[in-house]
Amino acid sequence: MELLTVIISALLGWRFAPRRAAWLLGAGLLTGAAAQAPLPPPVAEYQVKAVFLFNFAQFVDWPEQAFKDDQAPIVIGVLGEDPFGSYLDEVVQSEKIGGRALVVRRYRRGEDVAGCHILFVSPSSAAQLERVLADLHGQSVLTVGDVDNFCRRGGMVRFIKEKGKIHLRINVEAAKAAGLTISSKLLRWATIITTGKD
Amino acid sequence: MQFRNVPIQRKLMVLMLGTSMLVLGLTCTAFLAYDVYTFRQSSVRQLSTLGDVIAANSTAVLAFANADDATEVLGALKAERHIVAAALYDKRGRLFAHYPASLPDAALPATPQGDGYRFAEGYLVGFTPVVQVAGSQRLGTLYLKSDMEAMYARLRLYGSIAGLIAVVLSLLAYMLSRRLQRQISRPILALAETAKAVSNQRDYSVRASEQGDDELGLLTEAFNHMLEQIQQQNLALQQANDELEARVHDRTAELAAANNELEAFASSVSHDLRTPLRAINGLAEILLKSPPGELTAEAKRCITLIHRGSGEMDQLIDSIMAFSRINHEAPVRQEIDLEALSREVFRDLGGGKPDPRVKFRVQPLGKVRGDPTLLRQVLVNLLSNALKFTRRSNPAIIEVGLMDAAGANGPVYFVRDNGVGFGMEQADRLFVMFQRLYHAEEFEGTGVGLAMVRRIIERHGGEVWAESEPGAGATFFFTLPA
Repeated sequence: MELLTVIISALLGWRFAPRRAAWLLGAGLLTGAAAQAPLPPPVAEYQVKAVFLFNFAQFVDWPEQAFKDDQAPIVIGVLGEDPFGSYLDEVVQSEKIGGRALVVRRYRRGEDVAGCHILFVSPSSAAQLERVLADLHGQSVLTVGDVDNFCRRGGMVRFIKEKGKIHLRINVEAAKAAGLTISSKLLRWATIITTGKD
Repeated sequence: MQFRNVPIQRKLMVLMLGTSMLVLGLTCTAFLAYDVYTFRQSSVRQLSTLGDVIAANSTAVLAFANADDATEVLGALKAERHIVAAALYDKRGRLFAHYPASLPDAALPATPQGDGYRFAEGYLVGFTPVVQVAGSQRLGTLYLKSDMEAMYARLRLYGSIAGLIAVVLSLLAYMLSRRLQRQISRPILALAETAKAVSNQRDYSVRASEQGDDELGLLTEAFNHMLEQIQQQNLALQQANDELEARVHDRTAELAAANNELEAFASSVSHDLRTPLRAINGLAEILLKSPPGELTAEAKRCITLIHRGSGEMDQLIDSIMAFSRINHEAPVRQEIDLEALSREVFRDLGGGKPDPRVKFRVQPLGKVRGDPTLLRQVLVNLLSNALKFTRRSNPAIIEVGLMDAAGANGPVYFVRDNGVGFGMEQADRLFVMFQRLYHAEEFEGTGVGLAMVRRIIERHGGEVWAESEPGAGATFFFTLPA
């Protein structure tokens, strides 16, 4: 009976072939299509960015020593002037990723930054970026920003608005150097940048 | 035609073919049902696997809200031609992207429903949650809708394969059953053929050929055994019959010999008795003619008695010899006018002088075929009897006639008188030799006449009988077959 099923399936060409499907999926990526959406207002743009910050937590793996214990929360830090208002707090509220809660911390100055896992460097603190990055050297912190040349200057993830949509640029080398693993699923949709080039 | 009247060969074929077709049909149905069941299950499994793959590929596009990329992810489904619709919903349940691109939003569920896959309205539909990290909140929901064309195609193929198998198998079953049914029908048909031959030709010597040791073999054996018994019984019967016939033949021959001997004896005795009797009669006559006074009155009376007695005895011997002659000589056959013969006989009996007291009537009798001498004797005897027994009647009426209705043995003639008659209880003795109903003192006679009538009529193949009442006359009937 099983043999018959196989024979008939083969005759009909009706078999799910996950490997082939995956290959086709990959091929499909090369031919990107661009749909248009209306320009979001500034606040709406930062709402999207807030959700993205939270979602990074799902696509990035931190080394074990980045957390005190299994229950330790994932800390999202905002350096400088906070463009999200209370929205970021609302997004992460009562969310859990891999058993960890999420908390938001805000830092006024670069030297205040400590114990966070994702750090958003707001445009107001962009000038101190090199110093902050130097301070964070050796720590597993995903740095995110939206200023020009963020990745070229050593930042890891940059939000860039193209044709009204927010795209991602990722400096994989910098992330790797910090001991972070960014999911290939995320990388697939992002533009890869190397330090020094932009 | 009713099934029980169908020849046994076809019955057996129908039985075998019917059974195999039934079994085949049930088997195919069972397999089909099982196959449909497993196919549905595997369809669900396969679609949910596909759902898992697409959902895993959709996490990033949902997380980073890239609808174009999401459409691209779903576009990969075109490799799977049975997927008629697919859609991604974001974490709030809003439609985010769909496949195919041309599909209107209204054709898709407005919001995602419970996870898992199920059959609905001829389609397999369901939802898979899109989750990047196990345990965390879902990023969105994937919707897939697959047609059942694969299953229908499979059912069609299955049906044609089953049909092909059914055709091939029924051909095989037909050929096989043709051969197999002979195992049973051949001995039965042979038996039936033998039985027919036996009953048609009454030939009990044939035997059905033995086939085997099963019930049919037993039947054949029992049938043969029965035939043998019948044959033996027939043989015994035939033997007994033959024996009986031979015995009858022997006895008849013995009887005939004895009869001949007896008749020869009677004839010679009669002949020998006659010579001395003639002498006695002749001498008595001479004595009676002697001159008067020569004999005393007493002597004359004695001699008269001797003369009469010897005369009667001579007559008796004549009768016996006549009777015996009938037995010896075959009757000749010629055409006789019975009516004329009756008148002639009556006239002769009256000695040429008609008695005015006797009224004689003869109906038209037509012609008969017979021996003239013997039939004249019959009429002489019957008419003389009639005259004798009407001696005291006045007028005496004697009638010769023909009954209206013919008997089984030809026309029925009769001789009727209005004489003294007799009681029917004595009718048996009437035609027996030397049996007389009246004393010789009343009505003279030898007791041979009617016996002779019967003998003559019987030799002509006819019958004779009489009806009477005492004092009311008598009627004698006889038949003469043509």
